[in-house]
Amino acid sequence: MLVMGEVHTGLLQNSGEISESTCRQVLAITAGETVRVSRRPIVHALSPERLTGVDCALPAASRSRVRGVGTVVSRCVVTGGRVAQGSSYVRVVRSEADRRLPWSHYLARPGVVEVLGKAKAADLAEGFTGDPAPGCLDLGAVSGRFLDLVQGSPLLDRLAPFKMSRTSLRWVAETGEPSIRFTLHSEQDRTLRLTHPGPFTPAVVDLCEDLATHDWLLTSLLVIVERARIGSTPGAQAAARLTPAIDHLLHLWMPAARVEEWLTPFWDSLERRPGFTRQWHSLVNRVRDQIATNTLALLSTSTEPGRR
Amino acid sequence: MLVFAISDKGGTGRSVTGTNIVYRHALQGNDVCYLDFDFGSPTAGAIFSVSGVSRGTRENGLHEYLRAECPQPRRVDVWAESDREGLRMRPPGAGRLVLLPGSEGGGELSALTDEIVGRCVQLFGRLDEEFDLCMVDVSAGRSFTAELVLAATVRMPTVPFRWLVFHRWTRQHIIAADGLVTGADGLLDVGTRFGHDADDLRDRIRFVRTAVLEPDASELVGLRDEQRAWLSACDSELRELAGRHGVGRTAMLGKIPLDPVLQWREQLITDEDVLASKIANAETAAAFDELAKKIVDDNAWEGL
Ligand SMILES: Nc1ncnc2c1ncn2[C@@H]1O[C@H](COP(=O)(O)OP(=O)(O)OP(=O)(O)O)[C@@H](O)[C@H]1O
Ligand SMILES: [Mg+2]
Repeated sequence: MLVMGEVHTGLLQNSGEISESTCRQVLAITAGETVRVSRRPIVHALSPERLTGVDCALPAASRSRVRGVGTVVSRCVVTGGRVAQGSSYVRVVRSEADRRLPWSHYLARPGVVEVLGKAKAADLAEGFTGDPAPGCLDLGAVSGRFLDLVQGSPLLDRLAPFKMSRTSLRWVAETGEPSIRFTLHSEQDRTLRLTHPGPFTPAVVDLCEDLATHDWLLTSLLVIVERARIGSTPGAQAAARLTPAIDHLLHLWMPAARVEEWLTPFWDSLERRPGFTRQWHSLVNRVRDQIATNTLALLSTSTEPGRR
Repeated sequence: MLVFAISDKGGTGRSVTGTNIVYRHALQGNDVCYLDFDFGSPTAGAIFSVSGVSRGTRENGLHEYLRAECPQPRRVDVWAESDREGLRMRPPGAGRLVLLPGSEGGGELSALTDEIVGRCVQLFGRLDEEFDLCMVDVSAGRSFTAELVLAATVRMPTVPFRWLVFHRWTRQHIIAADGLVTGADGLLDVGTRFGHDADDLRDRIRFVRTAVLEPDASELVGLRDEQRAWLSACDSELRELAGRHGVGRTAMLGKIPLDPVLQWREQLITDEDVLASKIANAETAAAFDELAKKIVDDNAWEGL
């Protein structure tokens, strides 16, 4: 019917970025299973996946009661040793039975939630990306806990270089005529509606996590620039407030680096509108200009004749 | 940084002082939040002038959150939701000012379970990622709430935290404040039972004197010489007493003068109250401002 997921993204609670080997340890959340790491073009580490059993109402825009039984797949991600994520999703399918089956049935289908009774995909998609009623399947709660798992790791010193809110990206993917719609709701909440050709594959989850990472980077840089109050505080002060962005964020921008070929047109479309990379570059230029002007000012005051 | 606000006695000025410190810290450019853990009477909303939550919130209050009855506690953006005109706009350069209200009619915690401690750890951990300062009003006296935060902080050894013990400048209050820290079932006693190191915990505790009337205050100008001499003698006696009880100058982070506005009403003292309407004293605002700086100034927190 459809796939729904939620990604929570935050600044890894450590003073500096963590090494690949630390990533492996931090993400070793299930004994005996390995952490997958890719190094190019940026270190990207994925924890083993874990299942959470659910038997609860699914969010429906019509507020009709839809019961779903099955398992949620979750994992933690660390990108560039600096950005942490908790990510969960379920594939929603119609149940062939009209009652709940033994757990062995659901465990044999990891990441699948079976709907008992009637339900329309559009109703669920609207419900999940709209305003889910309390008590419904809450993927955000699951993803939040997985992100907590990373952030609470004893291997992290918790001396993060700046404070930043987590963001949440709630997404729904369906098969059909290709389209993508990314919407900002509050300061922290975003939704994504994606219709892709062909059947769902986990590459769609990679795409959503990649989008969430970049949306968080952009959001954070905007916040840091706002906090610097360029123009209304002394240049040196503004520059000092911008340095954490230079030290910790600017090099992480690698849109679509880990996205499979057939999904890159979706990124391209978001680049046209709203234009993630355009906005990012304009902010980065602003940050660099500010720092450069401040450095020049410092240089000229220290070399001015008669002023020592 | 987590800051726990406690007092031995009720009505000490803990909430009014804590909220004003948080407000000043936000004005200084920091992102701050205030958690109303005074579950028996969660009235912080009234001090921030958010009438919808003046006695706590009906839905998604902290109490419900800790009892796992809601996924996340409600957040109130004071700059957006306060009824007070002077607060309803974020001043340029100010950080976020967020209130997490308690639950209306929630009642005190009646027991401490592992699950509640786990929820509390989750909450503190997430807020610490996001806010420069999180002030927690732990309510008065020995309570499950105080035990809860002592138990939670043991589980998050890398998250910095500090305690402020509020007391008035009287004999009874000085003795009681000391007792709350060093007495039986006091903070150090319970804290070490939960696994804190006594010396480390001790170094994280400072006292704040509230509603202090200095013998040379302008309010006392009309007094007779005999009265002033008597007050002066009382004050030095109290200072001596405070010193003996470890509540003296070295362990004190700051003091807030008695203010006519606060005597009449629990509220934030804005610069407008001082400069425009002139109802509040400039010294009061300055004292809050200074405390808001000292709370994160490591020099003020060096070992005793
Ligand atoms: N600096 C001050 N000057 C004058 N009055 C003050 C001052 N600080 C607090 N007060 C007043 O003292 C009373 C008690 O203050 P507050 O409600 O903050 O105390 P509390 O310790 O939080 O009490 P409770 O334990 O009941 O929650 C209030 O009426 C308050 O306005
Ligand atoms: Mg109070």
